[in-house]
Amino acid sequence: MARFDYLEPRSLDEALRMLADGGNSTRLVAGSTDFLVRWRTGVWRPDSVVCMQHVPGLDHITWNPDDGLSIGAMATVQDIEQNGDVRSRYPALVAGATAFAGVQVRNLATVAGNVCNASPAGDTLPALLAYNAQCRIIGTGGERWLPMDEVFVAPGRTALESGEILTEIRLPPPAENTGGLYIKHSPRGAMDISAVGVASVVSLNADGTCASARIALGAVAPTPMRAYGAEGRLVGQIPDAANIAEAGRLAAQSCNPIADVRSGADYRREMVRVLTERTLSHAVATAGNPPSYDDIRRLAVQTAW
Amino acid sequence: MTTATQFKVLEQNHPRVDAYEKVTGRAAYASDVYLPGMLACKLLPSARNHARIVSIDTGEAAALPGVRAVITGTDFPDIRFGSGALRDRYVMPREVVNFVGEPIAAVAADDEATAQEAIELIKVEYEDIPSVVNPLSAMVEGAASVHPELESYEGYGFTLGHNVSTLLDADRGDVEQAFRDADVVVEDVYRSQGINQGFLEPMACVADVEPSGRLVVYASTQGPYQIRAGLAAVLEMPVSRIRIVPMELGGGFGAKLRLAFEAFPALLAMRTGRPVKLVNTREEVFTMNGPRLPVTNYVRSGVMNDGTIVAREAYTIFDVGAYLGAGPNSGIGHGIGAYRIPNFRLRSYGVYTNKIYVGSYRASGVADMTFAVESHMDHIAQQIGMDPYDLRLHNALREGDVSVSGAVVPSNGLIETLEAIKEKMEWPRQLEDGHGLGLALCEWRSGSGPSTAAISVNDDGTVSLLTGSTDISGSDTSLAAIAAEALGIPMGSVIVAKRDTDMAPYTGQSGGSRVVYSQGTAVQRAAEDTVQKLMALAAERLGVPEDALGCEDGRVYVMDNEPQGLTFAQLAAASITSRGGPIIGTAALSSMPYTPVFATQAAEVKVDRDTGQIKLLRYVQAQDVGVAINPMAVEGQLDGGVVQGIGRALTEDQQFDPDNGAVRNPSFASYLMPLAIDLPEIEDVLIRVPAEDGPFGARAVAEPPGFGPPAAIANAVYDAVGVRVKQLPLSGERVLAALNGDYDEIPFDVEALRLAEGII
Repeated sequence: MARFDYLEPRSLDEALRMLADGGNSTRLVAGSTDFLVRWRTGVWRPDSVVCMQHVPGLDHITWNPDDGLSIGAMATVQDIEQNGDVRSRYPALVAGATAFAGVQVRNLATVAGNVCNASPAGDTLPALLAYNAQCRIIGTGGERWLPMDEVFVAPGRTALESGEILTEIRLPPPAENTGGLYIKHSPRGAMDISAVGVASVVSLNADGTCASARIALGAVAPTPMRAYGAEGRLVGQIPDAANIAEAGRLAAQSCNPIADVRSGADYRREMVRVLTERTLSHAVATAGNPPSYDDIRRLAVQTAW
Repeated sequence: MTTATQFKVLEQNHPRVDAYEKVTGRAAYASDVYLPGMLACKLLPSARNHARIVSIDTGEAAALPGVRAVITGTDFPDIRFGSGALRDRYVMPREVVNFVGEPIAAVAADDEATAQEAIELIKVEYEDIPSVVNPLSAMVEGAASVHPELESYEGYGFTLGHNVSTLLDADRGDVEQAFRDADVVVEDVYRSQGINQGFLEPMACVADVEPSGRLVVYASTQGPYQIRAGLAAVLEMPVSRIRIVPMELGGGFGAKLRLAFEAFPALLAMRTGRPVKLVNTREEVFTMNGPRLPVTNYVRSGVMNDGTIVAREAYTIFDVGAYLGAGPNSGIGHGIGAYRIPNFRLRSYGVYTNKIYVGSYRASGVADMTFAVESHMDHIAQQIGMDPYDLRLHNALREGDVSVSGAVVPSNGLIETLEAIKEKMEWPRQLEDGHGLGLALCEWRSGSGPSTAAISVNDDGTVSLLTGSTDISGSDTSLAAIAAEALGIPMGSVIVAKRDTDMAPYTGQSGGSRVVYSQGTAVQRAAEDTVQKLMALAAERLGVPEDALGCEDGRVYVMDNEPQGLTFAQLAAASITSRGGPIIGTAALSSMPYTPVFATQAAEVKVDRDTGQIKLLRYVQAQDVGVAINPMAVEGQLDGGVVQGIGRALTEDQQFDPDNGAVRNPSFASYLMPLAIDLPEIEDVLIRVPAEDGPFGARAVAEPPGFGPPAAIANAVYDAVGVRVKQLPLSGERVLAALNGDYDEIPFDVEALRLAEGII
């Protein structure tokens, strides 16, 4: 419970200045849901905290057919879960949002904060990876765009440089005939950190073959990760049961889970296989015909299928 | 049989007497106590699980501005105390630490942040001593010794050495012969996990020293008199110099039955002359205050082909951690379950290890025993090809049988609970693939122990009820209902006094299914005493003999001439100038007869064959409650208990580092209690076979609901997918391993234990 200076910038420029002044002993917070826990237990002891709550213009969620979905850095997980455009076009992200902690936490936590926290188990991250999201990053030297699969470096570490701020996350518009789902494996139906999370997004050609398949895995490696090998197995193929099963096996092979209080490593690997199959099957079955929000909620947290 | 219509107050739903205070947030808990000049207390946990304390340097901490006092073990009198008969611990270790997390220093400072800063400035030098974490390893000759001086401790009894703190036994009949005669012998080893009580309100207290030097402690506790005794022992003070004020209790489940951390702020208050508050964090609750520790259970039965169980052998190993915080009594008390088994040999071991000490939790150990015994029953049924329901019905205890303790079983509703579940669950039933049903029987006894009550009649005709019992799960409301029923007045006419140890007469703890049954009996008798005194006064005033009077609806009247009478208000007013003085009815008792409580529970599950995960679809319980004092409260207790049991069955698992015994998941983020979303509606059936004793025939309610879920669910999993998981929790990982055929039986060297005792 170390003391710190609490700073509330009113503009992005001011926030960047405060970050630059504070150097490495400053921490940027949005919803503070990760920060407060680690501060209270003494894991994080910053000298100052820069809170983004009063920086205007960062809490939007907008969609248009050309640019796709734009998520402002201060948009909460609850905003994502409740957004009609997200629900109709990005079901795997809605699943990640609804599987995320509980309502109280979702009301504060931001998607951008989930990215910057860079937990391998972050529930929105596999879907962001599977939708090929891009991150807009602003620093004192200007802005740059970074693809999501280059953001995560290590547990708790991103490719953001000191003094940089993630301001926007953009998801390209999904192709025709796209389906997707995220399933979180947890012993409990809510308020839990995932033992395994898998997101699959599949786009089908008119002939039923796979135009693209993106599979992302959570909590089974030091960072959230894409299962490129499994994806490659499906592209150009008919996603039938045999191909999906093979993709599941490849995804399981590609991950590198640990054993901890939640689960053993072998079980995690096996769950990657099962959840990859289940999310792929669902994505194929619902391609071009997104599931209802109630269906997503029912499927997002796997206690028993 | 008693029926609901006989009662005017009982068998009807009553909101809690403290409902307004609770829902408006006005009810005061220990952490709500703020006194002028109050300091904050923080604790330093041991970083080692077995080490000599070479030195503790508190100089820098004490010098920090805002710090008012720092204490370590040697600041307390050199006195060992214990939670039971065996005095095996210091309130704060003096020379040796025995578990990671054990508090070894405490600071009082102007605020919490300063106190915590000071804690981090304390320098401790440790010298490690060989330690042991696994109880089965601890029992082996040559294992590191947790308490090398065990035999010199006060209260030490018979053990077999090698870290065994306690060995209890129960024997009946010719066990060896019965096993030889049996058609089938079934043998299993079960293991249940560490369990945290999971109460909502962390431990909290405020200690204050009055100008006279008397110590006052505001505490979150189930046992104010027990804390008083504990404090008196460790501070070397007479109990009369201590007053405990029990505040509202935000859950306890056994964890708050005895002295916890109250001595630290107490000594700091005595050192500083200022009030000192200690409120634990959740992490401290998990790492400093005794949870339940893993239990390993070997059970073997000899069975005849017709299903009659003729012999039982059970060896139960209770890991007690660093100190015997709760005894292994349930190992013998519940080794045969709710069944008539004529020949048995039961052994129960409490074994020391270098991890957090064991504590009490909702009938300590009985849920572990029930998991083993009731899973074993289904295994027997499977071995002899009998329906699990029929096997239970065939062997169930009946009135007149002799219980494991030797007491004769009085009339009870065990068979009725079985039949109610059979009907409600439509047992036996064919289910779709992957679905299954499972049963468990639960048995307990209504809690006994010293109980007292006083009722005084106010001059508006209401009464004030005084007991020493702290309210637990709405027990104040039940006591008020008993008083109202016995006095013939409405619930609203009973005022339940807030009390402390100066004001109320001595009583036992609020725990062990004790309050409504024993304390409630004292209240009923005090009410009857009150009625008798009111009748005597009325007889005097009305000039009629007492036996000509009746008492109903807050009024004493002449039976032959009902309009002639006096209300309680009139009698109370009259009593002030009467010969006997103001009306006070009192009662006290020390113990109650053996009154069993039986329940049958059933689970319906669906098992995911790919992940091993279990979905609980239905949970039904039938319990013999005797008479439902307040049906709404009874169902609340039944539901709450079952939910705790479901957590034990499926997700809850307090884990320990295999090397140093440290708690690996000291948080509700990693210790997973079930949420509403995880639960089906719990269906309750109340069976009413009135107890021969107890208030108006009521039996205790609290403990049995939590016993059944692990076995009922494990049995349902077997029914669903044909695998028997003998370890808790029934995680997806374990069930999947069992489905894949790579589930390991738990190793247990029963021969070594038999040999050590000379049994061949």
